[in-house]
Amino acid sequence: MKLALQLAYKNLIGAGLRTWLNVAVLSFAFVIIIFFNGLMDGWNQQAKTDTIAWEIGFGHLRNDAYDPFDPFTLQDGHGKLPNTIENVSPVLIQQGTIYPEGRMVSVLLKGIETSQTVLEIPTDAFIKSTAKIPAIIGNRMAKSANLKVGDEVLLRWRDKNGTFDASNITIVSIFDTTVAGVDAGQIWLPLQTLWEITGLQNEATIAIANKNFVDASLDGWNFENRAVMLKNLDEIIEMKKISSSIMYLLLLAIALLAIFDTQVLSIFRRQKEIGTYIALGMTRAQVVKLFTIEGSLYSILAMIAGCIYGVPLFIYLGKTGIGMPQASQDMGISLADKIYPIVGVQLIVTTILLVTISATIVSFLPAKKISKMNPVLALKGKLQ
Amino acid sequence: MKNTIINLKNITKRFKVGDGEFTALNNINLNFQKGEFAGFVGPSGSGKTTLLNIIGSLDSPSEGQALVMGKDVAKLSHRESADLRNYHIGFIFQVYNLLPVYTVYENVEFALLLQNHTKAERHKMVMEALDWVGLTDLADKKPDRISGGEGQRVAIARAMVKRPEILIADEPTANLDAENAHIILKMMKRLNDELNTTFLFSTHDEKVMQYMERIVHLRDGEVEKDSIIVAEKDK
Ligand SMILES: Nc1ncnc2c1ncn2[C@@H]1O[C@H](COP(=O)(O)OP(=O)(O)OP(=O)(O)O)[C@@H](O)[C@H]1O
Ligand SMILES: [Mg+2]
Repeated sequence: MKLALQLAYKNLIGAGLRTWLNVAVLSFAFVIIIFFNGLMDGWNQQAKTDTIAWEIGFGHLRNDAYDPFDPFTLQDGHGKLPNTIENVSPVLIQQGTIYPEGRMVSVLLKGIETSQTVLEIPTDAFIKSTAKIPAIIGNRMAKSANLKVGDEVLLRWRDKNGTFDASNITIVSIFDTTVAGVDAGQIWLPLQTLWEITGLQNEATIAIANKNFVDASLDGWNFENRAVMLKNLDEIIEMKKISSSIMYLLLLAIALLAIFDTQVLSIFRRQKEIGTYIALGMTRAQVVKLFTIEGSLYSILAMIAGCIYGVPLFIYLGKTGIGMPQASQDMGISLADKIYPIVGVQLIVTTILLVTISATIVSFLPAKKISKMNPVLALKGKLQ
Repeated sequence: MKNTIINLKNITKRFKVGDGEFTALNNINLNFQKGEFAGFVGPSGSGKTTLLNIIGSLDSPSEGQALVMGKDVAKLSHRESADLRNYHIGFIFQVYNLLPVYTVYENVEFALLLQNHTKAERHKMVMEALDWVGLTDLADKKPDRISGGEGQRVAIARAMVKRPEILIADEPTANLDAENAHIILKMMKRLNDELNTTFLFSTHDEKVMQYMERIVHLRDGEVEKDSIIVAEKDK
């Protein structure tokens, strides 16, 4: 083993430029693979953080009759929160319709306390506003209804008796978030206002917990904590990981192809050398071992090279983040302006192991061909 | 017969050529004694290389038996034939076949790496071998920095460093000028005398033939003539 390692190392160094080209390609593959995965992890992490900050808080207390996946339950899924309850921010959700530019757009009306701080929704804009019915919407909503800050739009809703009523609302703020769940098809109103216009005084559909909330079982309400709510997102992330692992494998395949190619080529180009090794008394197994080790040494050299420029790069990008083009926000995926790649030890170690092991395998396969070589033909350099 | 080191009995070698077969060696019977300095001579295609490869256990006969140091080359496993070459047979090729990434020293040392020697032992043996061929000064040079004659001398040192019983040289002077050919033949003859190694050549070269003590003429894969020559200097 030691001899094979020494010889393999010498052969690689001796091959000069050819070796370094391969090492460069491989190390590049290493770095891209790790970078790409780090980016995905960073993106997922950000999606989680954002969802918590904009939507989940520390969990939701829900009216028993309300099912977030069934809009028909909105009709009855609300009630008065017990007076004793603390550390939650109630939200009343009702259905409504707006008529921007004469179009009819169904919306969810979400009443939220103007003083809340548990979600990022910029509710202080309500306080600053003097409009009769101030409303806050997200970017997606603004775009789909073509609304700007200062615009007035007609809103129609039903009160608690089912009677239709209508009034103009004023857009006082438009926020920018990656979380579609608080944006698309939704209009945020001050809770007090929503109570007044619907007559559902002191009622709420859900209540968002802050960090001091303690879950005590309440009649008519159930609590879903943050971890449970994130499960959904975690599942989406898992799905995304599957598709990104296809990319991972693709990159890996390219890197391995480079090694495979070199190995196949070198076996033909170096027939004479192989014949000489055999004439000098090397066993076929020794020659196979030598070529296999040569191939896997590429991945080790590439790893070292990749570390030299990859590590500082990742540290830098982890700090400054990577700017995402504005256009990608329109693709319907939640993309932040900046993503901070997360490159963990686990990712690096897995990648290195994976590449090294597969590099060894793809070097072994062509090397095995050597064991079937006729040394006489190899010495003549006549093998096809 | 007591010192017979190579014993070829009814050796026939056929190659597949397209659908048919081509008989490269036809019923060869030859013996070589320890310390012989012999050459195969014959026109191109007469089977010289094929026969040397069988003796060197790089190839095996289609029929017959080739006993090299008492071992039937056709019956050896890969490992055993590798061992035979490793410890007992040295090769010299027409085109030297030096390993380009190794220095002269390392090329010679390579043969020893496959055996068990300490670094100090190897050093001593390599320097001695380089001394035989007068190349101790070039130890650190790479093969592409030395001349053809020097390259073939390195190949001799590499083949001889392990002190094999048999040295096989397939047209060793074909790429050399007359002066270098004589230098190399003289070196090999000296080593043959000093170490009692059996040398087997194949050659077209008159210069080589004049050093031979035995010449086996091959034609169309058969032995045409086998003659013992008394060297001039011994007359
Ligand atoms: N692997 C092979 N397949 C088919 N034919 C072969 C093979 N090796 C050798 N031969 C044929 O066997 C014959 C003997 O070849 P060999 O190389 O032994 O000749 P040689 O005497 O060494 O010739 P040269 O002086 O040109 O080196 C030739 O006709 C050659 O074409
Ligand atoms: Mg020949």
